[in-house]
Amino acid sequence: MMTNDDFITLSPEEQNQLQLERLQSTLNRAYRNVPFHKQRFKEMDIDLSQIENLSDICRLPFMERRNISENYPYNLFAVPLRDIVRIHTAPGTTHNPTVSGYTPQDLSHWQSILARALQASGVTAHDILQITLNPGLSNWGRDYKHGAEAIEASVIPHTPMAIEKKLMVLRDYKTSVLITTPSLALQLANYVQKNELNTNIFELKTLIIVGEAINTDDRRLLEETLHVNIWSHYGLSEVPGPAIAFECEAHQGLHINEDHFLSEIVDHETGKVVPEGDFGELVLTTLTTRAFPLIRFKTGDRARITKTQCSCGRKLCRIDWLGDRTDDLINIDGVKVHKKQIQLTIQAMLDLPSDASKFFIRKRDEKKYIEIWIPVNDAIFSDEIKGLELLIQNAENNLLENIGIPVAIRLKEKNTI
Amino acid sequence: MLRIRNLKCYYGQIMAVKGVSLSVKKSQIITLIGANGSGKSTLLEAICGLLPGWDGEITFEGVPLKGFDPPAVVKQGISLVPEGRLIFPPITVLDNLKLGAYTMYRKRQHAAVNQTLEKILDLFPILRERAKQAAGTLSGGEQQMLAIGRALMSHPKMLLLDEPSMGLAPLIVEKIFQILETLRNDGITILLVEQNAQAALQVADYGYVFETGTVVLQGPASELLADQEVKRAYLGKDYGEFYDDK
Repeated sequence: MMTNDDFITLSPEEQNQLQLERLQSTLNRAYRNVPFHKQRFKEMDIDLSQIENLSDICRLPFMERRNISENYPYNLFAVPLRDIVRIHTAPGTTHNPTVSGYTPQDLSHWQSILARALQASGVTAHDILQITLNPGLSNWGRDYKHGAEAIEASVIPHTPMAIEKKLMVLRDYKTSVLITTPSLALQLANYVQKNELNTNIFELKTLIIVGEAINTDDRRLLEETLHVNIWSHYGLSEVPGPAIAFECEAHQGLHINEDHFLSEIVDHETGKVVPEGDFGELVLTTLTTRAFPLIRFKTGDRARITKTQCSCGRKLCRIDWLGDRTDDLINIDGVKVHKKQIQLTIQAMLDLPSDASKFFIRKRDEKKYIEIWIPVNDAIFSDEIKGLELLIQNAENNLLENIGIPVAIRLKEKNTI
Repeated sequence: MLRIRNLKCYYGQIMAVKGVSLSVKKSQIITLIGANGSGKSTLLEAICGLLPGWDGEITFEGVPLKGFDPPAVVKQGISLVPEGRLIFPPITVLDNLKLGAYTMYRKRQHAAVNQTLEKILDLFPILRERAKQAAGTLSGGEQQMLAIGRALMSHPKMLLLDEPSMGLAPLIVEKIFQILETLRNDGITILLVEQNAQAALQVADYGYVFETGTVVLQGPASELLADQEVKRAYLGKDYGEFYDDK
């Protein structure tokens, strides 16, 4: 078992020293190995030997999602491709998906990060842990599986299946920990209520909510319906993974794994670091990542940082994360998609002007999907209903494959949009 | 125990160490590996007070070492085993050792010095055998042992070693590094600068990889030993493929 927990036992001064050492070597490696970073540092005349404190990082440029797609697929990797042992693909914000890579060390770091987060939720070797996520979050499924295996829990890995089947596994396999998204959890709770299932027959005691933040009402509803304790995890679906921050037994904010990530809160518009305790955009810098270092990555998530000591005793700062975004990404069960990306796909398929369509996030049985309104034009209009239906189905399938979340397309008359 | 923040060392206009931060924990072997000219030895010289101008912070057990001359650094409990041993060839092994306790001799602690001497001769039996020989007649490995023994005479809390394996046969290197492990287990903290990354990482607890005056990687020694990049650059494996296109 490896959870790398020495960091938590260090004094604040020692923690700071370790973070600084890791930051400096991350920057040096990025400068040497990634032309993108080298060029930007040079353009801004940044002398890395002048980064002498953690706060000096504010002199460095931000990284955004578009930088990742611009450097598709491998140009942001900081190690030669032959050192990479895993390549993850996530929906990007343009027509290019987001590609990230992992060295063996990266994977073992992730495993320890996940193990730490799971242990904080009380998961032990005696637990049976079931993972249920959307296809768009299947990378996370693998990471959670590895983390849970590190603490020797019995893992039921993520497999797509119908809700009845999920509940059957939950009941018969005596699942004690369930990792899922808020809407999938609510879907389960609804099903249980609707069918008047007796939750006493479930062994479930821990629900780990990932992908999206959970609000107080939903949290209470789930706790009451499923008789579980709820723990929230924060992560990035594109890079580099889940449980960057995790809830502890105090349930007062999410602890950031500060030995692996440096966090800042900045004003979304000006990019200036906001005073401690203020809400702003969460910006992350990786400290241990070898293959795919992020330097001041703008997450688009609104949060605030609390540095006061948590009652659990963990010496890791916490974030308050309510799920709001600072950009126009749509978060569907933890998968973040950009409107532009959907538009590009539709445009390519139907030959439409890119700004013609409209989007709505809808819920069907607590399951989120995107409803897209498309104006009917001559190119797609067909006398035959069959032809139109086929077109819609093709478009829906194409979008599902491209971005990994369900989509429903409604054809509308031009003047109603 | 030893903490360095943003150390910058200059030779005239040239910055040889460009903002290095590192820390050494008590009773551990920490190794700095890297190619020739990457700034490792310069860093040791800065710690020992041998380098006049440097910027940044070096603190040893909370005491800033800025402005300390070499004897003052030795008094703090830091001893250097210099590159190329730098023993005094014409004088005897015994006298060479005694010179290492110069600061104690001046305080007339002769009895204590003799006691230490006995301990060191126990640690290196070969030096006892050759105690009366001129140091210059020793073999390379023996000279290295003498250099380490001499550094230990001042009862250091921390030992700095600059390339102790240089020019020695692999078997002798192994022996020297075994001694370092013994010293670590006795509670002496060791900062080991090495080009022989393989040997150094095998005994070390933690390591830093230097490249042209900066640290590019650090981590538990076992992790660095398994690292592909370290293997290619410093352990002599796979070199041909190092410049593969991505």
